[in-house]
Amino acid sequence: MSALATVTSVPARRRAIALIGTVCALVMTACAEDAPQDTWQPEGPNAQKIHNLQWPVFAVAGLVGVIVFAAIIYEVVKFKDRGQPIPKQTHGKPALEIGLTIVPALILIGVAVPTVGTLLALAETDDTECSVNVYGQQWWWAVEYPQQDGCGGISEEFVTSGQMVIPTGTKVLISGTSNDVIHSWWVPALNGKRDMVPGRVHTLRTEADDPGIYAGQCTEFCGLSHANMKMEIVALAPDDFEAWKANQLEDYKSPEEASLAGQGEAVFIQQCSRCHTVNGLEDANGPIVSDPEQYVYSGVAPNLTNLMTRNTFAGAMFDLLTDQCRDRVWGASPEEFGDRYLEAVTPECLNEVELREWLRSAPSKKPMYTDASELGATDGRTRGMPNLALNEEQIDQLIAYLLERK
Amino acid sequence: MTDLEPGQAAAVSTAHGVDDVGETTVGEVHHHMHGVSDTSTGLSNNKLGMWLFLGSECLLFGGLISTYMLYRGRVTRGPGPDQIYDIPFTSVSSFVLLMSSLTMVLAVASANRRDVRNTKLWLTVTALLGATFVGGQVYEFTTFYREGLGYTTSLFSSSFYTLTGFHGVHVTVGIIMLLALVGMISRDRVTGERSEVVELVGLYWHFVDIVWIVIFTLVYLIPA
Amino acid sequence: MAIIERPADTVTSPPPLVTPSTAYGSFRRPVQAEGWRSWVFTVDHKRLGIMYGTTAVFFFVVGGVEALMIRAQLAGPEGTVLSSDVYSQMFTMHATTMIFLFAVPMATGLANYLVPLQIGARDVAFPRLNAFGYWAFLAGGIVLNLAWFLGGAADGGWFMYAPNSSVPFSPSNGIDFWILGIQITGIASLTSAINLITTVLNMRAPGMKFMRMPVFTWMVTVTQSLLLFAIPVITVALFLLMFQRTFDATFFSVEAGADPLLWQHLFWIFGHPEVYILVLPSFGIVSEVLPVFSRKPLFGYPFVVFSGIAIGFMGWGVWAHHMFASGLGPLSVAVFSISTMTIAVPTGVKIVNWTMTMWGGKLRFSTAMLFAMGLVVQFTIGGLSGVTHAVAPSDTQQTDTYYIVAHFHYVLFGGAVLGFFAGFYYWWPKIFGKCLNERLGKWNFWLMTIGMNMTFGPMHITGLQGQPRRTYQWTPERAGEGFFNIGFWNLVSSIGSFVLAVGVLLFLINVIHTHRKEPPAPLDPWDARALEWMTTNPPKEHNFDTVPTVTALDEFFHRKYQDVGEGDAHDLQRIATAEEILAEQEAKADEHIHLPSPSYWPLLLALSLPVIALGVIYGLVVSVVGGMLAIFAIFGWALEPATADDSEFDPPVDDEPSTELVTSD
Repeated sequence: MSALATVTSVPARRRAIALIGTVCALVMTACAEDAPQDTWQPEGPNAQKIHNLQWPVFAVAGLVGVIVFAAIIYEVVKFKDRGQPIPKQTHGKPALEIGLTIVPALILIGVAVPTVGTLLALAETDDTECSVNVYGQQWWWAVEYPQQDGCGGISEEFVTSGQMVIPTGTKVLISGTSNDVIHSWWVPALNGKRDMVPGRVHTLRTEADDPGIYAGQCTEFCGLSHANMKMEIVALAPDDFEAWKANQLEDYKSPEEASLAGQGEAVFIQQCSRCHTVNGLEDANGPIVSDPEQYVYSGVAPNLTNLMTRNTFAGAMFDLLTDQCRDRVWGASPEEFGDRYLEAVTPECLNEVELREWLRSAPSKKPMYTDASELGATDGRTRGMPNLALNEEQIDQLIAYLLERK
Repeated sequence: MTDLEPGQAAAVSTAHGVDDVGETTVGEVHHHMHGVSDTSTGLSNNKLGMWLFLGSECLLFGGLISTYMLYRGRVTRGPGPDQIYDIPFTSVSSFVLLMSSLTMVLAVASANRRDVRNTKLWLTVTALLGATFVGGQVYEFTTFYREGLGYTTSLFSSSFYTLTGFHGVHVTVGIIMLLALVGMISRDRVTGERSEVVELVGLYWHFVDIVWIVIFTLVYLIPA
Repeated sequence: MAIIERPADTVTSPPPLVTPSTAYGSFRRPVQAEGWRSWVFTVDHKRLGIMYGTTAVFFFVVGGVEALMIRAQLAGPEGTVLSSDVYSQMFTMHATTMIFLFAVPMATGLANYLVPLQIGARDVAFPRLNAFGYWAFLAGGIVLNLAWFLGGAADGGWFMYAPNSSVPFSPSNGIDFWILGIQITGIASLTSAINLITTVLNMRAPGMKFMRMPVFTWMVTVTQSLLLFAIPVITVALFLLMFQRTFDATFFSVEAGADPLLWQHLFWIFGHPEVYILVLPSFGIVSEVLPVFSRKPLFGYPFVVFSGIAIGFMGWGVWAHHMFASGLGPLSVAVFSISTMTIAVPTGVKIVNWTMTMWGGKLRFSTAMLFAMGLVVQFTIGGLSGVTHAVAPSDTQQTDTYYIVAHFHYVLFGGAVLGFFAGFYYWWPKIFGKCLNERLGKWNFWLMTIGMNMTFGPMHITGLQGQPRRTYQWTPERAGEGFFNIGFWNLVSSIGSFVLAVGVLLFLINVIHTHRKEPPAPLDPWDARALEWMTTNPPKEHNFDTVPTVTALDEFFHRKYQDVGEGDAHDLQRIATAEEILAEQEAKADEHIHLPSPSYWPLLLALSLPVIALGVIYGLVVSVVGGMLAIFAIFGWALEPATADDSEFDPPVDDEPSTELVTSD
């Protein structure tokens, strides 16, 4: 038995205290967070239903864990080899076994019933008050508001991207699909996630209690810039939502021809409009019709009509607002939020550095497949926005033009 | 071949259930006895192994059949199942395959009787019938191809060809095994107990036949 | 009476009486007992077990380095250690390597080594098939990793969801190598399954009834049965994907009407049983180790066995819990949510039984015992977080976040890996003749445990705070305010991973140190219970001098101890030492023991597989050549008897001991 003589004895009690202390510290400090995508901070009834189900299960699981650890720590201390004789060779106790099988089974039945209840409640679609469609593609989200009586009435379909705006206290039903690979729509504060699968349409209930901006991220691995495919849901009080809606449907206002923005319009038509749509944009030959099908593998590019009414761009990877302005909007109280959001992006608040870098070369800011050498498998079409080799003057003009898109 | 010479019988005790069959019990000296497997279940290792393999094959074909059943109606281009199948023709080739199972049974019976000539005869006939079936498949596929059903034409076509192709490959492997076995019997190169080897090839062959019955029913007979 | 311990590499038997060689010159059957040929052509389950184990540990280190790179990238915000492209390859290969090239082969290796010994057999049912299985595994591992050097490794995640796995979205050959590598390792696993199940069913020693088999053998049997039926399903999925990528089939083309969920269903019908395949062998190991170091039998042996079998069956009915957010519809989700909760029950039974085994025992905290206890603690954590995902609505918040990563690392690292390490420390004297150094072992255990908890513990937090999986970078904007935000915990995880790596390194150092410096181990260092300990250290070629007749569970223990108490009183008295028992065996040794002979054909057949695979990528002509090689090897194999003919041995040279394996006297 020489091998066992080298077994050193361990101060079990000290170990146990250290372990319990660490776990408690971890748990308590963890609760001190307010991460934007925190799943334990529900801000709408759907997320709340999940949370009401989740935390008791965690509590029960935690309790079971503590009991098991306590038993093991007790055993480690009490039954350590201190030279006692060979212990009683018990082979088992069926009554105990069966009991300790039935108890967990009962606990699980107790968990199963509310689980199914919550599941069915979250699958309800008949009480929809507002329908929004969502399309995932590499690596951004398109948001479409179909013509409907819901959402306070939408007379004409319109499209935005990256930020979905909804009225508070309204049962929104998101219907989504993908234009290329599987993505997943997840805004944790408002509900769990739902995969967006090409060829299929999946629905997800969404409702926000209070005005605010709720962060989300794509949560199904979708390739190179999966990590950069983000979105936000913006909830506005109903009258603010009406104002926002009306603004989205406003007619196109062409900038003054001689101004920087006017020159920007020309650059836009020449360089951007083949993929990006701006509603109502015309040139001498008539309305500009974009044809992203030809250039982009997923067949779509973000609609930029009202770019500056949202405050993120490039698949919500970058902010359109400077840090200070961003904090003002993101940190606003529910009462102030609507007004601040509706201010949109002003020239003073524009995060010009990021936007410039993007226009200079989008692929250098976000990993995408845009290099000609990489496009053999997609018939020469890009997955993402290519480098357009714009010069600084063109970028100045474009920025002036884009600033007016609101 | 490991049938032992009479003089050696007394000197043998073996590793348990080594894959040449018919070995004796453990730790003691026994006479070598034909056909007796001293395994814990009584089944020889080879037979048990073959059954396990066939069990796994059920899942293989299960996956392929499920894929076909999901995609049989998805005909974006080209002909669909009701336009292309020639049930009478396929029924005849199915019958041929079914008969090959009968001849396989006869081969196994001959092997059990140690009737070398008839064993080889029935194995060969089985192989020929199997080859006829495969020939029928090839003819069928080339006809479908000419009628516009290529491999990549539609989901229906891809899953149809993949399912029946895998089956056809299994039949072909079976034919090779049958003919190889005939050759090995002729040259007395069968390692292990000959009647058991024939039986195991028979098990495989019957399995392939049963899979075809399932495929024929689900794919051809039940309308999409 | 001392046992003559068999030195590592010489054969002490009288030279065989042979006739001069009449075989095929340089292609005659390999029968060497020494040197590289005795390893490369071996069919001995013990040597193959060592080969499996060594290769698996090598891939563990490879997968570990891949993990360290991932953690280095995520240690800070917007990391620049790895590009997004390389990161995708890294996490794909980390998971693939750990699952297919480490965990499954490690369990197979331990099973190969120990199961015949535990049931009183001299080898497995199909020794050449066993050899083929090892070489095919190695070939598959090489094919998988060749991709790194030939255009980039697979980058679609180990779960390889369609349509992201098709050519337009992943044009490099990485995924093709992945498909082929896993097909090859799948073939290896399938053959192992057929082999081990047949062995356990058919080759038990007299009296070794099923309910007297050690739990490790039971768990291996369930595991191999799962493999037998799960591998064909992923084989189908991989073929469909291969045909899609190589021959433009339309199985996952949405334009043709394909349903991407087909891949998910096929993959997870394999994938869920796979996770039980990964953890059940370690459950078996722990069920052996805990009783020995508690000096009590396993509590509730029948319950442990039947719960393992129950897990095996029930594991087929839960696969769609990996798809709760995939759009299945509430009815399917409800059904799978409930079935997932039910599978927690048999798993919980095991935790109860292990805890109760230690209760009232006489606990010796050897390194093996520490690892076994570590499994009980860490797996409990992982299992409980698993229960929280069984609640499907909660899972829609948790899935695809780091909370899931935490869960499966606790059950896989805390479960499977700690179990393997317990097995290493426990069985090292049996396999290599020396006990691993205990002091280094303690350091190994504690650094691994601390490292593991530092790495994966915080992931529970970051996941619940919204950090998604499979993201090459995290940003300060989504990380939250305060000091203890997502960023902080990612840094802790990353530091923890390096602590863990040092712990693993200590194991490797221990192996080398033990080989160089430790003395030979006594015959029965742990006073163990099961039959594999009733052999020399390491066992002789033929395992048992005479095959034992079994009369009870823990047969070896019962030969050493007898209960001489009266009535209800128990009084265990030692009646024999291991040395005495072995000497008795040796005295009754069988005179002639036929062992299966080494062979070329398994290796040749295994080598033909990567040739076929490379042809799929580089030109079908190559596949045809590989196919012909395979057919040639199969025929050679079929025509070769299991045991070498006398004519394959060289005539003895005067006075020199034979360098060839003895297969008959």
